[in-house]
Amino acid sequence: MTPEIPFYMVLGLVIACALGAVLLRGYITSIIVLSIFSITVTVAFAFLQAVDVAMAEAVIGAGLMTAIFVTAISKTRRRS
Amino acid sequence: MRPRHLAGIALAVPTAFGLAALLLTEAVVTSAPEGPAGYYLRNSIADSGAINVVTTVLLDYRAFDTLGEASVILASVAAISALLAGSKPERTEQGLSPLVQTSIGYLAAVFWIFPVYIVFHGHLSPGGGFQGGVSLAVLVILVYVVFGSTRASQHLTPSLLHGAESASALGFLLLGTVGIAQGFAFLANAAAGFPTGEPGRLVSGGVIPLLNLAIGIKVAAGLGSIYLDILSADDTP
Amino acid sequence: MMQQATYVTAAVVFAIGLYGVVTHRNMIKICISLSVMESAVVMLFVAMAYRPGATAPIIEDDAVAYVDPLLHALSLTAIVIGAGVISVALALTVVVYRHYGTTDIRVVFRGQR
Repeated sequence: MTPEIPFYMVLGLVIACALGAVLLRGYITSIIVLSIFSITVTVAFAFLQAVDVAMAEAVIGAGLMTAIFVTAISKTRRRS
Repeated sequence: MRPRHLAGIALAVPTAFGLAALLLTEAVVTSAPEGPAGYYLRNSIADSGAINVVTTVLLDYRAFDTLGEASVILASVAAISALLAGSKPERTEQGLSPLVQTSIGYLAAVFWIFPVYIVFHGHLSPGGGFQGGVSLAVLVILVYVVFGSTRASQHLTPSLLHGAESASALGFLLLGTVGIAQGFAFLANAAAGFPTGEPGRLVSGGVIPLLNLAIGIKVAAGLGSIYLDILSADDTP
Repeated sequence: MMQQATYVTAAVVFAIGLYGVVTHRNMIKICISLSVMESAVVMLFVAMAYRPGATAPIIEDDAVAYVDPLLHALSLTAIVIGAGVISVALALTVVVYRHYGTTDIRVVFRGQR
């Protein structure tokens, strides 16, 4: 099988995850979907032979930005 | 459907179609890389001895751009410190359960291996200072989440991170002035007498592994202190 | 074909992020949409660097063609700077919440507590 069919499936997942991250309600849901979006973008970059960029996107998008977003959300929420 | 949703759709749909049409008609490339990129691909090994061309572009041919990029990180750390100034650090968080703390305490020694490997093999394999530095910053965040800010800030203090960031920035600049001292350009690599070594070995690429180490420490300390600044922000409205 | 498909995907993802930036009123949601837009731009760079049949730009003996390393270096820089930019935006959000007690951006425009 050519590598193109799985690549198109990954691109479909990228669009679906972008829609989910932007349109879903709830902060935590959006951020989890955003980190899944980063992982799917990473897979697409690996298909496109951009290994350095794929590694940077995985580490920053799925690791660091998730932590910073969750911390910022916990700082903008009323203590009950 | 509120008016702003209609306005958003009216803005987004033409953008999608216009961008796609523009890219499909103008930007489809099939020829081999030419211009500067072709030069980098042909001469990377002869000029610097590093086999990863992306690292060579970042830290040899365009190392001055990388210095500017690192100073953008420094600027954002300074901006966040200034924005969140006057907030006292929150010292009530206790961290996770003792079981998690003990196991992570042993495993953290193992977790060091991956970022350090990525940083030191930046000129041989995918990765480099940026990726390894961000992994180190994630390790700092892990220590703070698991052990709580009370215990973690006793050992991994914010001033330690700031000191590491300043020291690595100074190290980058000093490595750059070696080229000037010998009469060549700022951040010169092989021309300034750094040994290029045998391509594919760990000790090769001249100054590139040292610059990778400086960038890695700088990115790790910068992004880690950004996280600590946001974590210790005062959140009472 | 992989290059064209990635171009279309990058355009669509950019438009989705633009829709989110325009329609959302919560500053954290705007930051999430900005992050999506930034990933779309990086996808565009990586797709421009791709050549059919080429391999990653790590010099080997048995490789015939390489993808463009210059665009990879540029997008690597763009990713790290994007993380810094979004962190500054989130710090601004925290400051706005501390000052106004909400993260709704209309309150900031009106300028009243």
